Amino acid sequence: MSETDRRKFLAITGAGAAAGTVALTAGPVFAASESRRSKDAAAESVVAYVEDHRSGRLRLMLGDREVVVHDRDLVTRILNAAGGK
Amino acid sequence: MSSHREAPEIAKDPAADSTDTYAFVSPDRPGTVTIIANFIPLQKPDGGPNFYEFASDVVYDIRICNTGSGFADIVYTFHFETMVRNPESFLYNTGQIKEITDTTWNRPQFYTLTRTENGTTRTLGTRLAVPPVNVGTRSTPDYAHLADQAVHTIGGRKVFAGQRADAFHVDLGSVFDLGGLRPFNQAHLIPLAKMDGINSVQSFNVHTIAIQVPISEVTRKGNKPTDVMSRDSVIAVWSTARRRTSRILDRSTGRYVGHGKLRQVSRLGNPLFNEVIVPMGKKDVWNIRKPGFDSAFAKYVLQPELAKLLPVLYPGDTFKNLKAYTKPRADLAAILLTGIPAGVVDGFQNFTGGRQADMLRLNVAVPPSDNPNNLGLVAGDAAGFPNGRRIDDDVVTIELRAIAGLTIPLVDPSYTVDGAASAIEDGTTNTNAPLLDVFPYLGLPGGGYQTEPGTTKAS
Repeated sequence: MSETDRRKFLAITGAGAAAGTVALTAGPVFAASESRRSKDAAAESVVAYVEDHRSGRLRLMLGDREVVVHDRDLVTRILNAAGGK
Repeated sequence: MSSHREAPEIAKDPAADSTDTYAFVSPDRPGTVTIIANFIPLQKPDGGPNFYEFASDVVYDIRICNTGSGFADIVYTFHFETMVRNPESFLYNTGQIKEITDTTWNRPQFYTLTRTENGTTRTLGTRLAVPPVNVGTRSTPDYAHLADQAVHTIGGRKVFAGQRADAFHVDLGSVFDLGGLRPFNQAHLIPLAKMDGINSVQSFNVHTIAIQVPISEVTRKGNKPTDVMSRDSVIAVWSTARRRTSRILDRSTGRYVGHGKLRQVSRLGNPLFNEVIVPMGKKDVWNIRKPGFDSAFAKYVLQPELAKLLPVLYPGDTFKNLKAYTKPRADLAAILLTGIPAGVVDGFQNFTGGRQADMLRLNVAVPPSDNPNNLGLVAGDAAGFPNGRRIDDDVVTIELRAIAGLTIPLVDPSYTVDGAASAIEDGTTNTNAPLLDVFPYLGLPGGGYQTEPGTTKAS
């Protein structure tokens, strides 16, 4: 399964969450094997900002830093989550 | 004015709102330059129990360009922290504050001062004390002593951060009531009885950051220039305030938490630029731009709205020649955007090159005046605005007269100045707190207990 396909799959399988708490990842099996934190993962609160829903650009703000991620699939999943799906 | 609540967004964020910037060769230490930036406008001195203070989530800067680029070459940055000694008390002070270190001050502030040049940031001082606000006769019985204790010497520099009396004077009530100038009330489109101006800022305080540094620390060649006509003698100054990109309400503490890079939310170079030159729809974006990008705003300088309004508000022949003048205002562009080139005013220039940028330009080779004229350069005193800005310079009158056409002949000798352009003023004088002869020069802030209420007239 390609990385993009896997993300789509995760987004679809996570769509059954209870109202108001939408899961961005699949169940524990996938979460444990595919979403392991790297040693450089942020260990503080993070603000994610999708400025333009038509782009694949995601701005992550943490501390005094900003990280811009270009990942259309990730943005799509966030948009879906924001839409309740 | 000069930049108090001048744009819609920053008016909602007083802690980051710059109000005035001053830059002048220090009259008592002419080997140094003093730069002062005020923030947090129109502070009513009795505004307790949560008195005005610097925001610890705002970073305050004094910026200097000595290359004409419109971008900062040197930045002095003030980072504040606030300490709460007893969070179980609602009081700002739990007893008299006689010394700046007294533990009766429940909410002391401190700051770290850094200097950045060529990408290198150096810390000049840490844990530098801010004085308390002037609470009143009982709480801060010797305020001058507290303020003195907050003047810090760092090498050849002096620095201060804290509350002061606003030194700006202007008739806000009349100016923003359809451009009224009380001494000329009878000539207004809606005439009223002629009267003296009322200084709206008289009883209000601000928060000040101030530095006094050797001139050689801020000039292009690292020296103390003596040739007025050399480009190397000119520095350009402005202030900024920066906040994190996002603010999230932390529901566990009830406080906002910032995330992301520090972003400029306020700036101030020349007085009144954003206030009366930049139109409403552009004021917010102007505040977040660097001066080096100001060419986008040049059209508002070249054809200022106020110059068109004056002949309407004061009809008849009052501003007849101004009304007929349709050429771009190269005089205002020189004053506000490029500095005044050589050959315009005999023996003077503060030109920084072709880059259009709103910066307060100071030719540091011009010595302090023995007899300052608060109308500055237009009155023949080259040590005053628009060559830098001294605290007592009457920038409202200077800029009103400039916009009314008084400075057009500097670049267009064919123009005949309207008589009113030489007389126009808002009618205020400096009735603010007395200035000091020494750093930080601004007067002591009014005290809360000593404050008397203003008008309640509705008509």
